[in-house]
Amino acid sequence: MDNIFWSNIFRSGDSELQTIARLWQQTPLFDDIPERQIELLCGKMHLRRFEEGETVFKQGDQGAGAILVLEGGVRIMADKTELARLESGDFFGEIALAAPERRTADAIATRASRLVYMLRQDLEEWIEYQPRLGARFLLNLSAALAQRLFEANRRLATQQ
Amino acid sequence: MMSWHQSPHVRTFKLFAIVVAVCLASFYLFSSVLVPVIISFTFYALFEPATLFLVRHNVNRSLSILIVLVLLLITSLLMIGLALPALFDQVSLMQSKLPQIARQLEALVSRYGELMSTGFGADLDISQIILSVVSESASLGQSALIKVSNSLLNFLIIFILVPFLTYYLLKDFKRVRNEIMNWLPNSSFELGWLIYHNVSRQLNAYTRGVMTQSLIMATICAIGFTLIGLDIPVLMGFITGILNLVPYVGPLVSILLSLLVGAAMTPFDPAVLYLGVAVILFAQLFDNLVVIPAVVANAVDLHPVQAILGIIIFGSLFGTLGVILAVPAIAAAKIVIRNIYADMANASLEFES
Repeated sequence: MDNIFWSNIFRSGDSELQTIARLWQQTPLFDDIPERQIELLCGKMHLRRFEEGETVFKQGDQGAGAILVLEGGVRIMADKTELARLESGDFFGEIALAAPERRTADAIATRASRLVYMLRQDLEEWIEYQPRLGARFLLNLSAALAQRLFEANRRLATQQ
Repeated sequence: MMSWHQSPHVRTFKLFAIVVAVCLASFYLFSSVLVPVIISFTFYALFEPATLFLVRHNVNRSLSILIVLVLLLITSLLMIGLALPALFDQVSLMQSKLPQIARQLEALVSRYGELMSTGFGADLDISQIILSVVSESASLGQSALIKVSNSLLNFLIIFILVPFLTYYLLKDFKRVRNEIMNWLPNSSFELGWLIYHNVSRQLNAYTRGVMTQSLIMATICAIGFTLIGLDIPVLMGFITGILNLVPYVGPLVSILLSLLVGAAMTPFDPAVLYLGVAVILFAQLFDNLVVIPAVVANAVDLHPVQAILGIIIFGSLFGTLGVILAVPAIAAAKIVIRNIYADMANASLEFES
């Protein structure tokens, strides 16, 4: 049994933060970025709850950042066609981290979900603290966006 | 078919009206501490980069803030110790000179009035009108100066409150901001952050740019006025720097002020008058060619007409504070309207489809 005087009262919060950091760390965005720094950045991120069927964002909305699925699931739709189903550990909407572009698809929660927002604002503030790691993150982001573009081109080519 | 109250324009107007109402209510609620709060936010914008610099060099955040604030306090005390007595002397000198300035101007105006009536045969009564305006502004100016030099208590309150507020802003502002932004519903969460991101970026850039610009202007003018031998050069440089906070209108007022001070000098020397204007024009030229492109350019996206109209309207509504805050407030309002409208227009498209 834990000693109530010596146990860490922030442990429950910390473990959630560590889960979020671990999930982000598994994404290509955080390749070669130390765990401690990911945790620091995750401490500034925003956790939001969504009900089943609730819209996360709509096509054409102005995006403010990337979103990680912590719990639950999200369906990505464009023109009534399902493009992807995302589960815990998946991330989406990362274009908004690179440029203030509009969302290119709808995102809808498929069940009660908890999503973590990494906003452009958080990223810019973190880069001010850690410019070197910020540059590494931006390279990773470019690679992820290039990969998405490559896949989209390949899908178009096979459709034709 | 979309009804008129679902039009994006109407919905944007409704939402913007709510934003304005919340801003005005906060202004009213915090009216007694508005000046220290605004000064603290200005210091926050100015000193956040210095704190970040120390944090990047592995100094603890709280210690970084303390170091920056202690440096600020030492600089302020040095300024008070060295410059303020001289500045107060110059304020009282200015006070004693104001009636003389009015008399000199009266003489100038009546001389030019006579010249006009003999030269052009026009018996204009403009001189009388100008005289009444000048004597009115002289008495207004005198009472304003008395107010300034008598408001030592207000100054002390600001002096004590501002460092505390600035410390807590530097330490906790982002955490408190995040908590407040978390109150936004899911549907407006990203839009709210986007607006905050754009507005804060522009206001930060504007504040840093304008403060640097004012400091450069004050220094150039104080040195220039000393070199040409104008009365009360330090105070005049200081005033020119502060007036520079008000775009377009400020520089014109500072030229008028230097003309008045030059006209009040005994013995009257027209060369000082012209050189005083030349110093301000040179400072403006330097400002427009060097300072603005380097530090203020693109800070706010406002047409000169919008800025001038805004300054007049805000000035009449909120006084001196309104004149200083007009440009950043209108620039921020433009961003808010633009972002809300883009969101509403997208929602309407979806509604129509």
